[in-house]
Amino acid sequence: MSELHGGLPLSKIDKDGAVAEAAAKVATDTRSGFLRKAGIGGVAVIGGTAFLGALPALADAAAIPASDIAILNFALTLEYLESAFYAEAVAGGALSDPDTVRFASVVSQHEADHVAFLKSVLGSKAVATPTFDFQGTTADEGMFQATADALENTGVHAYLGQVPNIKTPAVLLGAGRILPIEARHAAWIRDIRFAGGTTVEQTPAPGAFEDGFTMAAILATVKATGFITPA
Amino acid sequence: MTDLFTLEELDVDGAIQETASKVDSHSRGMFLRNAGLGIGALAGAGVLTGALPSLASAATSATAASDVAILNFALTLEYLESSFYAEAVMKGALSGETKTFATVVAGHEAAHVAALKAALGKSAVAEPKFDFKGTTGDQAMFEATSEVLEYTGVHAYLGQVGNIKSKDILAAAGSILPVEAWHASWIADLRRHGAKPYPAPTAFASGLTMAQVLAAVKGTGFIVA
Repeated sequence: MSELHGGLPLSKIDKDGAVAEAAAKVATDTRSGFLRKAGIGGVAVIGGTAFLGALPALADAAAIPASDIAILNFALTLEYLESAFYAEAVAGGALSDPDTVRFASVVSQHEADHVAFLKSVLGSKAVATPTFDFQGTTADEGMFQATADALENTGVHAYLGQVPNIKTPAVLLGAGRILPIEARHAAWIRDIRFAGGTTVEQTPAPGAFEDGFTMAAILATVKATGFITPA
Repeated sequence: MTDLFTLEELDVDGAIQETASKVDSHSRGMFLRNAGLGIGALAGAGVLTGALPSLASAATSATAASDVAILNFALTLEYLESSFYAEAVMKGALSGETKTFATVVAGHEAAHVAALKAALGKSAVAEPKFDFKGTTGDQAMFEATSEVLEYTGVHAYLGQVGNIKSKDILAAAGSILPVEAWHASWIADLRRHGAKPYPAPTAFASGLTMAQVLAAVKGTGFIVA
């Protein structure tokens, strides 16, 4: 789609085929499992609107439409994935480049904050965290950097793709507060990866405009990684 | 607001503040006129002729005057950024990755100007005159100023998210916002190599109001007429 605009797509990180190979072994119902977990299935979205918001802008949101609940749970699932990825990388201790170690530590906290924020907003409507298998990408510095780059791009694309769909102004503002941070993470890891990079494709800012992706496109991309294991 | 860099923090040797203090007190009013944010300009036509695909369908006379004002506000900031980088590239005083940064970002900001001008058509405000006070001819001053400008860009767009009425214009602003965030993060990492304030200084970003952005821009004295 817009790989030229968005930097490294998740589908491009698997240089040696290991991730794709592992993903192929995952049961074919992974996506529906993901959908169930993400609360995007038909039943899960039809729920109450009791909010336990922590963020002031969302605390008084009385009636959030079911479609916005689904979008928030979609975002929460991606944040779960990012948060677990960084937490595992930090805990694993395999990173050695000081800039990469610092990046992982700082971003890990941000993603945990995003998870906490979305969970508090969703309250009882929040989906549970899936189980993850990062296919060894958290234990190798090069793979970690490439995967982080791809995950942060995916985050930006996912939030941007939902901008026209969000109905509640407070939810739109909440997404707006997270989106630029994901973009900052993406440029940060790219600057670490390509320090001194000389081609336009390699720069931390690979295009003048960024595109949103549909929920279906994001889900297909995430599924292809095999990072979310079947329930 | 905890992630707000102020010009004071970045203007280590005080040169920008010193220069800005010499600018007459009419700057803000002139900026407002130039940006088409004065009351008269808001009453103007809403005829848009979009170049950005996502803006093409916004080209109707029904476009809210407030959205036209927001687009012109954005256009003025993009004029400022575009002119800043073009001048820095032309002067040739930059080296290393900073030179790459300036060249790449100059292209992006020019593209943003072109897209917004095309979207606004004859409702687009004219470009102000700028004086970058020598910040484009010195590597360190260029870097510090760039970080402030990009930060301001991100937070200016973010501050208008709740005010934009047209979904097409919201999508267009959304396509620009993360690019400004990339720029801000890149120059921050380039300047401090990951040290605090980090390229991603907080978990959440906060928008700035139009008034806050205008005051920050006025403080630079970069817009002279």
